[in-house]
Amino acid sequence: MRKNRKNRNITVFFLLGVCVFIFFILNICIGSVRIALPDVARIFSGQESNETVTRILWDIRFPRATAVLILGGALSLAGYLLQTFFNNPIAGPFVLGISSGAKMVVALVMVFLMGRGIRVTSASMIFAAFIGAMLSMGFVLLMSHRIHNMSMLVVSGVMIGYICSAVTELVVTFADDADIVNLHNWSRGSFSGMTWESVKVMTVVVAATFLAVFLMSKPLGAYQLGDAYARNVGVNLQLLRVCIVIFSSILSACIVAFAGPISFVGIAVPQLVKKLLNTTEPILMIPACFVGGSAFCLFCDLLAKTILAPTELSISTVTAIFGAPVVLWIIKGRKA
Amino acid sequence: MKNYYFSTKKMCVGYDNKLLIKDMEIKLREGEILCLIGPNGAGKSTVLKSIAGQLGLLGGTVYLGEDDLSEMKAEELAKRMSVVFTEKVRVELKSCRDMVATGRYPYTGWFGILSEEDELIVDEVMELTHITDLSEKDFDKISDGQKQRVMLARAICQEPEIVVLDEPTSYLDIKYKLEFLLLLQEMREKRGLTVIMSLHELELAKIVSDKILCLKGEYVERYGTPEEIFESDFIELLFDMNEKDFIGNERLHAYMKQIGKYER
Repeated sequence: MRKNRKNRNITVFFLLGVCVFIFFILNICIGSVRIALPDVARIFSGQESNETVTRILWDIRFPRATAVLILGGALSLAGYLLQTFFNNPIAGPFVLGISSGAKMVVALVMVFLMGRGIRVTSASMIFAAFIGAMLSMGFVLLMSHRIHNMSMLVVSGVMIGYICSAVTELVVTFADDADIVNLHNWSRGSFSGMTWESVKVMTVVVAATFLAVFLMSKPLGAYQLGDAYARNVGVNLQLLRVCIVIFSSILSACIVAFAGPISFVGIAVPQLVKKLLNTTEPILMIPACFVGGSAFCLFCDLLAKTILAPTELSISTVTAIFGAPVVLWIIKGRKA
Repeated sequence: MKNYYFSTKKMCVGYDNKLLIKDMEIKLREGEILCLIGPNGAGKSTVLKSIAGQLGLLGGTVYLGEDDLSEMKAEELAKRMSVVFTEKVRVELKSCRDMVATGRYPYTGWFGILSEEDELIVDEVMELTHITDLSEKDFDKISDGQKQRVMLARAICQEPEIVVLDEPTSYLDIKYKLEFLLLLQEMREKRGLTVIMSLHELELAKIVSDKILCLKGEYVERYGTPEEIFESDFIELLFDMNEKDFIGNERLHAYMKQIGKYER
């Protein structure tokens, strides 16, 4: 039995890894200009002389695919953390209004700074998004003290999301034309226009947070048993809670700052990965959620780019098509 | 404090700064079994949670040996005291063996990976508690009684010196109730395990415990050996019952008279 489990884990990680690899390559090859695989290899080894193709690959496709890989993993991990925190299978940064809160503050900051002609850096965007995420999270936490019903908590999260979106819309309406176009594209969620500069920043932030979360896998496992038993085995509950809130907010903030709010990945992927692994053990779930989220987002971004090419779909449209049925399936499968 | 493994000094317990029971003095030697009895809502669970450090004390001190419990490190306490509470545990995709293994938490390293030795202890405890057949069953899908037995095994797997159990027998049928009491006796003889628990079944409390603590009202109503507690009509007083109310129903009347008596 124990050996079976081990084999299963290895298989799942291997398959997810293969998916990430394949979708990554496809993302690089497919687009308005199709680049054949041998050409990609040649460009990487520096033999290709076609300047345009090289530029497309290096400056557009490659950073974009890398960003999708990192942010997709981060999104899924944020969802897993929130689900564990609230002991609620349909919690996630999007349904709890955390993404929308981050979006609101980022929109405010962008309009304010751009209106004064100040360039907005990636770091300040993340920081603004983090403040917004913490703001929404604060509200959700306040509500969760009073409401112990999981569906009601989600409903209040959705309401917070609506309020934040309304404020964002309001800001956009009053902003200058140039900003609106910029904001509107981003506020619907998109991976387009990633630069190496952004990729560098997000890699550092997400990698550090991932590592910190992974180091928490033991207390997270005990936390799943409930407060009393977690405390009894020596878990510092208060510290753990603060850590989960901060880390999930950082991850959500990072995604919103670079790609805007993206729905359903945070809920759907951890649930699917959990079924694949047949366990909720954090030490396996944390890395598996990350890899699974990367694969899922690479797949969705591929579709977003290609279905109606040259027009690009917003990423949330695609993630919703594949993610929403998963949520319905979870609700259907629950006992009460 | 000498010679006592567990003791409390002027312990005051309650919720949200609302005082429930004042100035509790409990003294237990190593390997003794203490039962808390009292009517519903008397504060048995509150006392147990306070003893286990789950609820802050409103006054006084709890000692394990010479050590003040409130000054002990959480990891240290985890190796000495384990608990089983009545709250339902909801976990997903965890086998019963996984559940029992969570008791090894204080002994594993940073990532919580079980060593060969840990695995052996888990198997051993499951054998000892007769739940080996539940091993691969999904914890979420077994009965309440089975869950109770798994949680007890989990508590023993933590290799404590003292266990705090809140109504550990409530879902068990008579066979497992007796098996559970047998297990407690075995654990105290082999490992010197000290037990503090609440029980609803007075008959069981009578035969298993060394000390009984009766709770009712603001102060400890009575604390002593079973002989001292189950004398005259004290039980009737404790539970606000009157033998005369049952005159007319022969069987209940006989039962009432027998509960109050102590016989070994």
